[in-house]
Amino acid sequence: MSDAALSRPLLELDTVVKTFGGVTAVGGLSTRVTRGSVHGLIGPNGAGKTTLINLITGLFHPTSGAIRFEGRSLEAMQPQAIATLGITRTYQNVRLFSGMTVLEQVMTGCWLTREVGVFASFLGLPSARAAWVRTREHALSLLARVSMDHRADELAETLSYGEQRRIEIARALGSRPKLLLLDEPTAGMNHQEATAIGRLVHELRDAGLTILMVEHNMGLVTEFCDDCTVVNFGRLLATGDPATCLADPDVQEAYFGRKTDAERIQALR
Amino acid sequence: METLLDLWAAYGSTIAFAMVNALFALSTYAVLSTGVLSFTTVVFAAVGGFLAAQSVAHLGIGLWPAFALAGIGGAVAGSVVAAAFLKLDSHWMALASLALVLITRVTVLNTPLLTGGVNGLVVPMSVPMGDLVILLALVAAVFWRLHRSWYGLAARAVREDAAVASTMGIPPRGIQFTAFVISGAVGGIGGAALAFTLQFISPETYFIGMAFTMIASTVLGGSFHWFGPIVGAAVFTALPVTMQSVLPAIEDVAKGVVLLVIMIFLPRGLVDPRAVGLRRAARRRVSAEEGTDV
Amino acid sequence: MILFLEQALNGWALGSLYALFGIGFGLVFSTLGILNAAHGTYASWAAIVGYYVVERAGLPFPVAVGVGVAAGGLLALAVDQIAFQPLRSRKAGMLGALITSIAFWIILDSLAGFATEQQSLAFPAASFPSGMIDIGPMKVGQLQLIIIAVLIVCTIGIHLLIQKTRLGTAMRAVGWNEVAAALGGVNARMVILLTAFLAGATSGLAGVLAGAATSNVSFTLGEGLMLKGFAAVVVGGYDDVRGTAIAGILLGIIEVFVAQYVSTALRDGFTYSLLLIFLVARPRGLFGSAGFVRA
Ligand SMILES: Nc1ncnc2c1ncn2[C@@H]1O[C@H](COP(=O)(O)OP(=O)(O)OP(=O)(O)O)[C@@H](O)[C@H]1O
Ligand SMILES: [Mg+2]
Repeated sequence: MSDAALSRPLLELDTVVKTFGGVTAVGGLSTRVTRGSVHGLIGPNGAGKTTLINLITGLFHPTSGAIRFEGRSLEAMQPQAIATLGITRTYQNVRLFSGMTVLEQVMTGCWLTREVGVFASFLGLPSARAAWVRTREHALSLLARVSMDHRADELAETLSYGEQRRIEIARALGSRPKLLLLDEPTAGMNHQEATAIGRLVHELRDAGLTILMVEHNMGLVTEFCDDCTVVNFGRLLATGDPATCLADPDVQEAYFGRKTDAERIQALR
Repeated sequence: METLLDLWAAYGSTIAFAMVNALFALSTYAVLSTGVLSFTTVVFAAVGGFLAAQSVAHLGIGLWPAFALAGIGGAVAGSVVAAAFLKLDSHWMALASLALVLITRVTVLNTPLLTGGVNGLVVPMSVPMGDLVILLALVAAVFWRLHRSWYGLAARAVREDAAVASTMGIPPRGIQFTAFVISGAVGGIGGAALAFTLQFISPETYFIGMAFTMIASTVLGGSFHWFGPIVGAAVFTALPVTMQSVLPAIEDVAKGVVLLVIMIFLPRGLVDPRAVGLRRAARRRVSAEEGTDV
Repeated sequence: MILFLEQALNGWALGSLYALFGIGFGLVFSTLGILNAAHGTYASWAAIVGYYVVERAGLPFPVAVGVGVAAGGLLALAVDQIAFQPLRSRKAGMLGALITSIAFWIILDSLAGFATEQQSLAFPAASFPSGMIDIGPMKVGQLQLIIIAVLIVCTIGIHLLIQKTRLGTAMRAVGWNEVAAALGGVNARMVILLTAFLAGATSGLAGVLAGAATSNVSFTLGEGLMLKGFAAVVVGGYDDVRGTAIAGILLGIIEVFVAQYVSTALRDGFTYSLLLIFLVARPRGLFGSAGFVRA
């Protein structure tokens, strides 16, 4: 890849708008995600973070604006085509497949890298079987990365919430993506588990992956994110390195409320 | 030996019908296992049945070529239906497919040259029990392979959550289209098998009653594994016969009550692989609580 | 010309029966998410009960209508509580309920066969308004006019109920999502019961009126209404009662005219061709709204 291509942002959002009926979930947001970085996406509840991830992965199409990945426009693409370009994700409210074992979940995530035609696999040709075994090994190694390999043959829905979140990350890694979108990967986890996720994210970045993650824990954001984008009511509040962003008065206000407001509420009591 | 023969004489036709119904149930399962509720198996069966009956009568082809032809005819019908209906959401899909069943009957009634119209068609060929067993075994083998292949994994993902599957690169519409082609082929073959078993087919053969029978068989047996529909068809076909010997006056009522009770207590059907996993997890939890080495 | 108008009114009345039945079927489908195969049997049973009220108890026809409507509603309530309620907590979706409704269809149909001794019964002609009225040069059946009026009243009433009242808002909320409805303070259980009763009652009304109008009180009554009512729901769009009403009326008129001027054999062919055209060209029906997109 040329230097020019490398220095260009991996993902670019250009005045993206998404409305649902009368509700504007994302109102003209622009930001960029640098290749090889961990990018935090933060903002209060209902700010439009999940909607943004849905827009990038093609589950929703933007009302207007442009989304570019490696210079290619994603706005009109189907989710499966976007996944093929190398973008995968996890979900805020874990969405694993009911009735599948942990290994099967991750195997499903390996669909794009299965290396064998569906028909050959149906026929059970030796080459197809070998490819299946390779994919299985790959899936198991991903499970080992999130320390879930000892549960490979169990039904995923019987495991704890934190374990399911980790399985979802392994599933999203199955197709060897370039950009991984994590929607609140540490929600409901204790500090130790959350830090483990942070370290995993760093390992993945060091292996060449770019990560965009929604995160509410500011401690984790400052510790693990290289850049961040702060949104509120679907609009950009600040973008840049985490410490500067969080010190921004607008961000302070969005998160902790206007000081005078707080005083007024005190007075009302 | 004597009693065995008696048994055969009494229940042979029931067994044959159970196998034919298993084909229909598998055809329904093919689409259901990708998350589409469709009654169009009846349509595919009609296409296969009349195609096989006419080609046996007028082209003089044999039993197995007739099955093959019926399968191809059904598959073509399946792809047409898929192209027209897959864009609908699930509720509309169910309604539209049921409407297509009604339309099929009217079409059959009004094309007497092809279908014999109201009078129906006499089918000049019958299917020996052995061939029927081989046919069902072949079809079951296809489903076994599908289940264990990449297609099977993708189908389960699409059924459980099509949106999530699509963000992993699995094309839900593509998988469902394939499912319709498979459903069409198997339904067509089933239609031919029914024609050769009954040796007479009419517009009433492929109608609402059949649509409900096959969907009930599939869900009763369990729609989460290919073996479920086969079990379900066997149970659902044997039920009225059994009830007839126990409660002859109200056999239909008894059949309905049994179906109701099974579905309320086992809504995922008789064959449910997930239940096995859940039981295992429950056992593990119990032993973890009792165990001293925790 | 007079014959033409008379036939148009006949078709309108016939179609009104289809529509009246279809409204109940569509209501259950859109609000409760259930494709109810047993719905036709509510109409059969309402007609059978109504028949016995007139024939055995010797009560007047309006009482029979009232009892039939109540019977349809109560039967729907019973089926809902026995066959559908246990599945709701298990998230068995549309599929489980479809199968239990098929079970009830089998049960209620064959019991209806026993209740009429496998015969087709008919209300005695003197027991209901079967006379003719002169409207200018036309002669029109009293019952026909009553049926036409009943559909108009029911359609307007139910449409207003759904669109303008709090109960209707709650019904629409349940239709989208039972969990959300429960969180939003809607008593989902109550809404379900009321919807089931209302749907059964309108279909029961259609059943008694159709039993009198077609001189057929038997289990086949419900089946006939179910097939045509279903077509009306698909053509009209299941989430709008006005669509169902208009589509039902159109289907009735087309049926009568095809039988009169084309051929009786092609009657159903026309109905279902129309159905096919709608499925392909306008799959969401006359008034169908664009789908709710889920991610
Ligand atoms: N499918 C939808 N239909 C209608 N409105 C929606 C839809 N999805 C999101 N919204 C609205 O868009 C706004 C942004 O929601 P979004 O879920 O993106 O917020 P979020 O930043 O992820 O919040 P949270 O921190 O709670 O996850 C909200 O007001 C929400 O109600
Ligand atoms: Mg969110």
